[in-house]
Amino acid sequence: MNQAPVSCIPSPKMSKAKKVLDEARSSGNPELDLMEKGISSFEEMPGLLNMSNITRLTLSHNKIIDIPPGLANLVNLEILTLFNNHIEELPVSLSSMPKLRILNLGMNRLNSLPRGFGAFPVLEVLDLSYNNLNEESFPANFFILDTLRALYLGDNDFEFIPPEIGQLKNLQILVLRDNDLIELPKEIGDLTRLRELHIQGNRLTVLPPEIGQLDLVSNKSVLKMDYNPWVAPIADQLQVGISHVIDYIRSETYRYLFSRHISVRGPPPPKYIDKTNKLSRNRKSN
Amino acid sequence: MWHSGSSTPVAPLALQSLDHSQLYQRRTHQMGDGNDPRTEEIDNLSPSTGDYEDLSEQDWADAENSLSSISISSGQMSYAKPTRPTFLKLSSTNTPALFPTRSVSETSSPLYMHENSSNSRITGNMSLGNMFCSRCNDGFEPHEKIVNSNGELWHTQCFVCAQCFRPFPDGTFYEFEGRKYCEHDFHVLFAPCCGKCGEFVIGRVIKAMNANWHPRCFRCESCSKELADLGFIRNQGRALCHECNAQEKAVGLGKYICHKCHGVIDEKPLRFRGEVYHPYHFNCASCKVELNSDAREVKSRPGFTSNEMNELYCLRCHDKMGIPICGACRRPIEERVVTALGKHWHVEHFVCAKCEKPFLGHRHYEKKGLAYCETHYHQLFGNLCFVCNQVIAGDVFTALNKAWCVHHFACSVCDQKMNQKTKFYECDLKPVCKKCYDKYPAEVRRRLRKTHEATPKKATV
Repeated sequence: MNQAPVSCIPSPKMSKAKKVLDEARSSGNPELDLMEKGISSFEEMPGLLNMSNITRLTLSHNKIIDIPPGLANLVNLEILTLFNNHIEELPVSLSSMPKLRILNLGMNRLNSLPRGFGAFPVLEVLDLSYNNLNEESFPANFFILDTLRALYLGDNDFEFIPPEIGQLKNLQILVLRDNDLIELPKEIGDLTRLRELHIQGNRLTVLPPEIGQLDLVSNKSVLKMDYNPWVAPIADQLQVGISHVIDYIRSETYRYLFSRHISVRGPPPPKYIDKTNKLSRNRKSN
Repeated sequence: MWHSGSSTPVAPLALQSLDHSQLYQRRTHQMGDGNDPRTEEIDNLSPSTGDYEDLSEQDWADAENSLSSISISSGQMSYAKPTRPTFLKLSSTNTPALFPTRSVSETSSPLYMHENSSNSRITGNMSLGNMFCSRCNDGFEPHEKIVNSNGELWHTQCFVCAQCFRPFPDGTFYEFEGRKYCEHDFHVLFAPCCGKCGEFVIGRVIKAMNANWHPRCFRCESCSKELADLGFIRNQGRALCHECNAQEKAVGLGKYICHKCHGVIDEKPLRFRGEVYHPYHFNCASCKVELNSDAREVKSRPGFTSNEMNELYCLRCHDKMGIPICGACRRPIEERVVTALGKHWHVEHFVCAKCEKPFLGHRHYEKKGLAYCETHYHQLFGNLCFVCNQVIAGDVFTALNKAWCVHHFACSVCDQKMNQKTKFYECDLKPVCKKCYDKYPAEVRRRLRKTHEATPKKATV
């Protein structure tokens, strides 16, 4: 096996990761910090998948490509951070992790999500920012994640959001920043607990009037909607302030404008951002 | 001993106390004692005195022999030895010059028939010829034993129970309508049976409810109190004492019985220390006015136990006492008072405005005139930690429209803890430490800078 020499002669990086694991094993610390260790494979962390006591695993800023299915053996894991790696695919087993509450897969190379990805029993925060995901990437039943309170999908390639998004009844934070969104589903208006909506940097021209049902203007709420080719009335209101936009889309005038707008919809505006040089597209490393 | 009850005041209704002593007499024949002064007296009358006393069979024989000339050895009868009835003995040879009268010995017991010996004594010349048995009317043979009772004479064999024709055991007999009965037959024939225990009733008989009773057996069917001397009320075929009857009556009418006077309460009752009363039995503890049913029982006040403080006040005085009114139910608060939000509350009525569970002394949070439990206050008004999603106890980091527990405030990219002095960048309203931010691709940083004018921000505690 050509891997054998690699594992027999430990590289300095490998020994660093091993040292952290040994320390954690001897001290019983259930939180593992392994960021920026140059790790490219779980094989460089021997015994990690047997440390079922750990509750947090942080592997940010590494070069991991594959997640072994055995990661799901860490049944006590509550927080898993894999930000800024080279992950292209996820194991199906991931969604069976019984205690996982916070999953950060931002800045990776995901083109799709595995089937059954909506099966996490207690997932609360899911960060998929800066990947290569679009509306085709969601597996069926993704939106049964009704424990989810924050969904980060910024810096992806969505042009549409499935209307099933309305099933995420506990969603408080929805980030769709810097995608290619042409329109939003009216079902976003069903997310009654939503208090943060980030839709800046898209190709949106109108907002569904149902968004007016949400409480996005209180001092506890945030609506970010700059950098979109809004129709003139919305753009005008946005100049004055978010609360004016919300007031406007709640009006009968706007309902009329909206219905006319979608019936005589023209071609979508051009893509706003050139993403060809995104790190997530870059396959030349390894 | 047989006892003749004294007749007592008879209960008002249908109760009769029957004194059996009026119906029959019980007597005992007793052998005269030789030392009895009356015996002495009689002896003095007779020429030959003291020649026998307390005769035995043998004595009789001796006497016969020795006293042949004596007309009558002793003018005595009266015997009480049950197995040995005593007899008069007449000398046959001698004409009875003197017929002994009878004498009945007296005892001190009131149970025995008292006879005046002087009345009953017959002095005079009585010859055997004009003496006849009270039963068979035949005369007596000389030397024959004669039983004398109450001035009447019997052959020994005739002095028997009118029912069973046997001698009286212990010489005790009962007399009824001129006939004499042994104890057993008398009871069988005439004594009433108790309606409860079925035994003969000797002595005082209670006639009630169409039956006879021992006084001890005739009791209230509700409370089992003896009714003989209290009287009773017939209630649907049952004998009840006055109290129980009143109670049953009140229950039947759906009314209360005053705990004090046991009368039916027709108006609204007054409840006091767990019982009901006519209000007019009480006066206001403060102004002394006679109470009506509006009166209030004050169970306790701070510093008093409930038993010490149970008092009744008229409504007027009660209102003047300043007893707090619950802000929720508008009823007076007689137990623990919770004061919050400028009002008083029953402990169990001071509840979370969201879940309506009582605080029961736990911490509550006030907002816009309403009180909330910890969970719902934070759920409604923020301060759930973004990482653990729990209510934040203790210090709070607030930044980026979010809050964190002190030990959960960390870089969202590398999970390294940050404090209020740590500079961090913001991306999607999440904190990113400078080290991580510097690793972002240049074009992302450029965009972030452009859209957010990303300047390092400080968390506020």
